[in-house]
Amino acid sequence: MLRRGFQMAVILGHHGTLPGATHLLPRFNPASAFGSSTESLVSRFCQEMTKTKNYALPNASWGPDMLSLYHEFLEKTKTDGWVRVPSFRSNRDHIRGFKLPLELSANSDKSDWRLFTRCIEREGQGFEYVIFFQPSEKKSVCLFQPGPCLEGVPGFAHGGSLAALIDETFSKTACLSGEGLLTLNFNIRFKNLIPLGSLAVLNVNVEKIEDQKMYLSCVTQSRDQQTVYAKASGTFLQMQLEEESSQQ
Amino acid sequence: MLRSCTAGLRSLWALRGRREGAARLSADLQPARRLFSTEKAVHKDWALPNPSWSKDLKLLFDQFMKKCEDGSWERLPSCKHTCTYKSEDFKTYFLDPQLVEGEGLSQAQLFTRGFEDGLGFEYVIFNNNDEKRTVCLFQGGPYLQGIPGFLHGGAIATMIDVAFGSCAAISGGAVMTANLNINFKRPVPLCSVVVIHSQLDKLEGRKLFVSCNVRSVDEKTLYSEATGKKLPLAILSLVSAVWGVFVWGGVELVWFVLVF
Repeated sequence: MLRRGFQMAVILGHHGTLPGATHLLPRFNPASAFGSSTESLVSRFCQEMTKTKNYALPNASWGPDMLSLYHEFLEKTKTDGWVRVPSFRSNRDHIRGFKLPLELSANSDKSDWRLFTRCIEREGQGFEYVIFFQPSEKKSVCLFQPGPCLEGVPGFAHGGSLAALIDETFSKTACLSGEGLLTLNFNIRFKNLIPLGSLAVLNVNVEKIEDQKMYLSCVTQSRDQQTVYAKASGTFLQMQLEEESSQQ
Repeated sequence: MLRSCTAGLRSLWALRGRREGAARLSADLQPARRLFSTEKAVHKDWALPNPSWSKDLKLLFDQFMKKCEDGSWERLPSCKHTCTYKSEDFKTYFLDPQLVEGEGLSQAQLFTRGFEDGLGFEYVIFNNNDEKRTVCLFQGGPYLQGIPGFLHGGAIATMIDVAFGSCAAISGGAVMTANLNINFKRPVPLCSVVVIHSQLDKLEGRKLFVSCNVRSVDEKTLYSEATGKKLPLAILSLVSAVWGVFVWGGVELVWFVLVF
């Protein structure tokens, strides 16, 4: 049982909760403690997959700010234990070998369905982002460069696109930090607009884990931290994935 | 902040002038409305049925179009781009030239209207001005996935924000979102239709408090509830608004800003 807990890893997506979420709490194994399993979750989840495109890599559309900060964090993956989180076109790619809990697995998905934050294929047009995770501190940094297809107010990123990316970063952080799976609550306070094509830096922290709920916070600001774009908080429900049986 | 406040004021006005989230102007402000009737670009209205709409969505659309017949409800048109010639002036004055010159920016389009039919956000908003509430019919397509098989919470958040904007604009004119708080109750199956009911709860000075719930077509399933706070753009910085007006030089626009 402990071993299964350790193998749980991976991702998942987000959102929503199951009917009667508060008494949902399906088969959660308290023995899969969060501290030691974070490393297991990371090693299971953050493996590069040769046959599936990883979108969390630089491309020609990345501006100089995004590139230079990316390389700074890449250095930290070698020296300070940071992990670059891979990003695939669908969360289904992230849970190979595992399946969603029964209540969530009733809805099948199709192979050409896409993760919202990877919905726009053309480089530089939509969400350009990469998430770096620090396992020992349960925190993440996401570098975000919104493209012209994310426009709200002309010349600036739509508030919904930022909300989506904060939720995405919350989700990956919650999953790697302790099998946080479903968003229960999401709160965002907008402060300033993000110009399209510029770099925004999301700093996410796990504030607390209590009663099978994970509480996360996020501050989104410019690279020099002079402009705060938004502050957000989220609550995630911890749920374990199930291993797929050999028949599947 | 100055730049983004002015940017917000200008662009929200252009965006909402006669489209989705349209600012509802009193009779006194009719001259400002005429300013936008001379827009050069002709935009397709995306808030109309297309082949990707499910039966549920079409049925609901027809029901609400019937309600529009007596004038109590109205359908909001929805475009893919904002008024292009004004956007160009705006970008020249308020954005970093390097960003403006990049090819990417000229391809900008409204986030929620940037997908091929059926792949992303399919939605239409109906306003009830007397009751200060809106109904948004929304079908989330396969490019909006979160957990496999379900709609991404960020997509729900985006639509709630759009619905709030329309609702708040009835009373507040050009508005911007200050705060959004969403409680998720159940995941929404991808490609299903939901109904977002928004209403204005209270007006506190210049702040507009709105709330909504997201339900299934038969109203039996509650997917999420949300509250939000909107602010009129003018409150963010009257100085920046006046500065913006000076640059644009439109008399009608000055009047609009000062009134708000």
